[in-house]
Amino acid sequence: MSSNPQIPNPHLQSSSSQSLNFGSKGLRHGSDSEGFSMSRRDLNDDDARLVYVNDPLTTNETFEFSGNSIRTGKYSVITFLPRNLFEQFHRVAYMYFLIIAILNQLPQLAVFGRGASILPLASVLFVTAVKDAYEDWRRHKSDKIENNRMASVLVDHRFQHKKWKDIQVGEVVKVSANETIPCDIVLLSTSDPTGVAYVQTINLDGESNLKTRYAKQETLSRVPEKDFINGLIRSEKPNRNIYGFQANMEIDGKRVSLGPSNIILRGCVIKNTDWTVGVVVYAGRETKAMLNNSGAPSKRSRLETHMNQEIMLLSFFLVTLCVIVSACAGVWLRRHQDELDIMQFYRRKDYSEGQVENYNYYGLGMEIFFSFLMSVIVFQIMIPISLYISMELVRVGQAYFMIRDDKMFDAASNTRFQCRALNINEDLGQIKYVFSDKTGTLTENKMEFQFASISGVDYSGEKTEFYGEQGGYSIQVNGEIWRPKIKVQVDPKLLKLSKTRDDSISSKEIYDFFLALAACNTIVPIVVNASNPNEKLVDYQGESPDEQALVYAAAAYGFMLIERTSGHIVIDIQGERQRFNVLGMHEFDSDRKRMSVILGYPDSTVKVFVKGADTSMFKIIDESLNVDVVRATEAHLHSYSSIGLRTLVVGMRALSVSEFDTWQTSYEIASTALMGRAGLLRKVAINLENNLNLLGASAIEDRLQKGVPEAIESLRKANIKVWVLTGDKQETAISIGYSSKLLTSKMSQIIINNNSKMSCKKSLEDALITSRNVINVTHASEDDASSVALIIDGTSLVYILDSELEEQLFELASKCAVVLCCRVAPLQKAGIVALIKKRTDDMSLAIGDGANDVSMIQMADVGVGISGQEGRQAVMASDFAMGQFRFLVPLLLVHGHWNYQRMAYMILYNFYRNALFVLVLFWYVLYTGFTLTTAITEWSSVLYSIIYTAIPTIVIGILDKDLGRKSLMTYPQLYGSGQRKESYNAKLFWVTMVDTLWQSVVAFFIPVLAYWKSDIDGSSLGDLWTLAVVFMVNIHLAMDVIRWTWISHASVWGSIIATCICVIIIDALPMLPGYWAIFNLAGSGLFWICLLGVLIASMIPRFVVKMFMQHCKPCDLQIAREAEKFRNSMEITRSGEIEMNLPHR
Amino acid sequence: MNNATPPTNSTSAEPPDSSSPRRNSKRPKYSRFTQQELPACKPILTPRWVISAFMLVTIVFVPIGLASLFASRDVVEIVNRYDEYCAPSGSRSDKVRFIQSDADKTCNRTLTVPKHMKRPIYVYYQLDNFYQNHRRYVKSRSDQQLRNRNDENDTSTCKPEDTVNGTTIVPCGLVAWSMFNDTFSFSTNNNVQLPITKRGISWKSDRDHKFGKDVFPKNFQNGSLIGGAHLNESIPLSAQEDLIVWMRTAALPTFRKLYGKIEMDLRAGDTINVIMQNNYNTYSFNGKKKLVLSTASWLGGKNNFIGIAYLAVGGLCFVLAMTFTIIYLVKPRRLGDPSYLSWNRSPGGH
Repeated sequence: MSSNPQIPNPHLQSSSSQSLNFGSKGLRHGSDSEGFSMSRRDLNDDDARLVYVNDPLTTNETFEFSGNSIRTGKYSVITFLPRNLFEQFHRVAYMYFLIIAILNQLPQLAVFGRGASILPLASVLFVTAVKDAYEDWRRHKSDKIENNRMASVLVDHRFQHKKWKDIQVGEVVKVSANETIPCDIVLLSTSDPTGVAYVQTINLDGESNLKTRYAKQETLSRVPEKDFINGLIRSEKPNRNIYGFQANMEIDGKRVSLGPSNIILRGCVIKNTDWTVGVVVYAGRETKAMLNNSGAPSKRSRLETHMNQEIMLLSFFLVTLCVIVSACAGVWLRRHQDELDIMQFYRRKDYSEGQVENYNYYGLGMEIFFSFLMSVIVFQIMIPISLYISMELVRVGQAYFMIRDDKMFDAASNTRFQCRALNINEDLGQIKYVFSDKTGTLTENKMEFQFASISGVDYSGEKTEFYGEQGGYSIQVNGEIWRPKIKVQVDPKLLKLSKTRDDSISSKEIYDFFLALAACNTIVPIVVNASNPNEKLVDYQGESPDEQALVYAAAAYGFMLIERTSGHIVIDIQGERQRFNVLGMHEFDSDRKRMSVILGYPDSTVKVFVKGADTSMFKIIDESLNVDVVRATEAHLHSYSSIGLRTLVVGMRALSVSEFDTWQTSYEIASTALMGRAGLLRKVAINLENNLNLLGASAIEDRLQKGVPEAIESLRKANIKVWVLTGDKQETAISIGYSSKLLTSKMSQIIINNNSKMSCKKSLEDALITSRNVINVTHASEDDASSVALIIDGTSLVYILDSELEEQLFELASKCAVVLCCRVAPLQKAGIVALIKKRTDDMSLAIGDGANDVSMIQMADVGVGISGQEGRQAVMASDFAMGQFRFLVPLLLVHGHWNYQRMAYMILYNFYRNALFVLVLFWYVLYTGFTLTTAITEWSSVLYSIIYTAIPTIVIGILDKDLGRKSLMTYPQLYGSGQRKESYNAKLFWVTMVDTLWQSVVAFFIPVLAYWKSDIDGSSLGDLWTLAVVFMVNIHLAMDVIRWTWISHASVWGSIIATCICVIIIDALPMLPGYWAIFNLAGSGLFWICLLGVLIASMIPRFVVKMFMQHCKPCDLQIAREAEKFRNSMEITRSGEIEMNLPHR
Repeated sequence: MNNATPPTNSTSAEPPDSSSPRRNSKRPKYSRFTQQELPACKPILTPRWVISAFMLVTIVFVPIGLASLFASRDVVEIVNRYDEYCAPSGSRSDKVRFIQSDADKTCNRTLTVPKHMKRPIYVYYQLDNFYQNHRRYVKSRSDQQLRNRNDENDTSTCKPEDTVNGTTIVPCGLVAWSMFNDTFSFSTNNNVQLPITKRGISWKSDRDHKFGKDVFPKNFQNGSLIGGAHLNESIPLSAQEDLIVWMRTAALPTFRKLYGKIEMDLRAGDTINVIMQNNYNTYSFNGKKKLVLSTASWLGGKNNFIGIAYLAVGGLCFVLAMTFTIIYLVKPRRLGDPSYLSWNRSPGGH
């Protein structure tokens, strides 16, 4: 569900895998549900999909279920053209082109020739179609490979090879070890006698650890070839929730329930299991993997939103120009009303036929209307439609460089930066708020067991080396030495105690504590070969890193989990193998915040072990048993969490026979329910988990990622507010805050922990006053930034968010340098992001790695996923994904800055470029009796934005750098230019437009006045204007290029040359009126003098303003640029003890 | 501008640790291009450069401006408006009636040469307020037909002058139809005829490629409304230079077209008698007709604008150079001094 980007609902996730995750993502039911038939039928046949096992014919009889062939490609050869065109014309921009082209086809309005009028649209369509076709071809290729893979399918009681695309729903498929699952199958049996299969889901969610899936007791013993399984599966309709599955199976008259642990999804790989047999329930595009194959979320960048406002303005200009032209045309026609009939250049009357009629004249009103439409056609490029395509290309280019940046490559996880959203690159340059998750984002999410508190005794003494010379605890199995894969530092005192077995209470409690750590989890031990042939390593695979750490710790202290099946676990306790039946398990959920396992001892006693977060555990501890132990444990927990450790509390209770029976009955009812199963199970669990004995608590360290303090320091210098939103305890959060330099000792902390709305209100008001005072004091005394840190917990947020208190919280938070939210639920994270988003115009970025961050990532303007330890849901929902938190600094400060500067400049430049051309056309129209003649040939006006000026702006938009990486990283403050919108704002837009007006006046009137009363012809003057305008826009661009690489040189000068070539070619066609004009023109001195005069005169105002601003009001970027260039020479002159020669002296 | 050295290839230029055991590493392949570290020139306009640029413009523009002015001054130009004089005084409709009638339209004008005029002396006619760039007009021609005899019927664009009585007009279209048809002949005051060369007044490229040597006028001016000149049907279009000149439609509503050249010097004070046929109807739309005799400079005709503009730009740049010098002297700023950075300038300013 959470991998579906459209439904931000991760709190429904069966396991949120946040800091307190020790549950499994798969439901697991006891093996003893045999013979139980459902009392409730809550899956209607109408809603269900009926799958007859091993009977694809009946299965597909009534409903045509999708076959297993997949098509990610959108088009086929035949459908490509219509479908691609249809999709392209969904964009407004293309519709605009189309309408203009159609208008131009009307004979009365034919401004351009057929070819010329269709060219812009055609070229845009063509470029896009080529891009789409290439992408689709690649998809088709991979589809073909997928579809033709082989699988072995049960046909006529024999497994035969069949292509993937031929597999049908209802068929029985056999998959061997290391093979990929071709479609979603429900497990029937596996090579393992207990029906366990291990799968790797890396293709599905990126998690590399193995997950366990189970075949049902009822089917696992059957051999499909001989023993015909005749069952009926009722499953829910195909959906995209990869962590949920509800179905039941009728077999031999019994009905058994099926859950997510019984299904293996397409794309998973079977590991450590020789073979598995399953029945296909979803195939092809109905598999969960394919349903999740949706594109990246689409957001629109802030810059583009602003740009659209300016485009509205430009449309207004366009309409104004057209109104002026058509009104003038009307006046002109009116004034010459009587002369039009025989006027040589109008000739309203057609005398060629017998009777004299008006030729091509439809009355004054229509003429005005036509000239309006014609002026729209002529001035169409005032709206820079090509800008949208240029922007797309530029973003692709920018993304290419971001992905290729080896400063953002994470060697540890071997992941590159990923650009998932292609249209918000430039937003990265304007971020004001960063909302960060803690676990896995700031920290590594590699858990290491540190301390334990067992029945009130704290074992946090000196850590020794690894135990013994052999390197940790090991056991002998069949002459081989088995040892845990990861070694854990141990406390010698506790180790000694754990080895002594006597009947003392403390020894028993230590025994139970470690047994709980080893048993109460979903970890699967996998035995792998070690380098030493006599040695085997036990690798604990599981979904929660906390659980892994605990099991490794238990193993280090001599409680080594060596086998787990659906029905039992085997634990080697100090060299003695013991087998426990797992009678039931209540997995972790975010409401209970704990999990429990019911173990049947060899001596047939039954005990329930529970572990969970302290808050949830202390509620269900039987305090009457031992108050002192509880108090002591609480104290230890406090001290652990204050040094940034993650804590868990473990409890236990023995179950009487009657208690066990009651529980078992209700457990079975709940676990076979098809609807509301999770809720029923939760109820059962809550009834069971009470009056526990407190065994102890564990403390796990989650180390900070490399470079996090430095990264946070940089972000803060860049005036980005970093908020940390975590599910951890307040003490843990604060200590991580200190170690990541988010909090400093100089800061005054405001802590809000409240349990009611009233108290929240009061503490907010107090906090506001305090913060004001603190800020005033720091202002008076120190020049350090205001340093108030707000720490608020999830409970208080419940009362504040979505109430009138939000306003106060916002006011307070905006005064604080740091905000730490602890104990927050996933949806609250999104709420906090929304709090900022609603109230300010500032851009926000959310970064996280887990399913619980999905809502926040989608809420923020920019979502960044960490592709780390936890699943890939965050990455799937994100716009950008990367391996480490510290890459945020180059991402924002370097790439974000560049992207913003480039894109902002490109937009303004495109406005200028097109408006200049339109204005030159417009001025000329004023000299043609307002009849929309263009001196510039129609081909040149069409090619203007396609060939003459298109490439440099794209190249500069991708490649130009205002500052080097080093300067941007050394001075994070330079990032402020993006936050202050310095490169694109209304003022700049208007300045650009005024400049455009001036340049167009120069470009038009200098040649007009120079050639006034001469025998110049229209084509020659048109060529002069074409060249002048193209040279001007390229020189204008050249003046603003900051870094000239050979590519920029080639593109700018290349397009000037290309223009000349095009003009020459156009003028070498004898069927055009302007034949040979450019050659005659270039032979005259006046042409060159005009051109030079136009270029210089048009650029002077811009140059003067630019130089003046550069010198008198230099912006930070300017100074940094100068420093970048002159710093070296300065240092050299200084070392030589020569006074720096200032350039102006 | 200063050419920057390529960026320092310090830490960043080191190749990634190739010793890494990871074979299938996805580490992006290092190249200066992908790391956006291509050698680049980073021009920064220091005060020195700014002032030099302005001075350079001054140095280039002022001489060109002066040269243009001198060239323009040396051009001798005689402009004579004759449409008013050559038509009976009265209302506009009288004039229109006159020009449309069959009356004798011969008209005599006397011009005085103000200054010595070196040959060649170009004879132009100038039309004012005649929109040869009007959309209806410029489109009404067929370049195919002009060029190629086989495309004679390619007259779809020529309406309403495409056919007459069902037969094709060559050359078709309003442009050709409205061809100027006043004629001028010149003689000095002692009645010596001044020969006018009418060869070579059009572009050679037009004669050679644009107007066909085998295309002859046909049905031209046979309609009920005569727009202008008649053409000799025995001369191919490529030799009808007046037509070729006329068909190069002017860019602006006030334009001159070359009528011919006088290959003789004229002395100052000479008087020239012009005998003209005032045929062309500009009266119906208040157009003006002028006869222009002009010598030419390297820059063309008499036009002071370019000279003045160049002097103005050159002068402005000189002023700007001075202004910037003063600014730089009065308010110097050390380039790249970090103390100018905004966060260093205003302590505690966040």
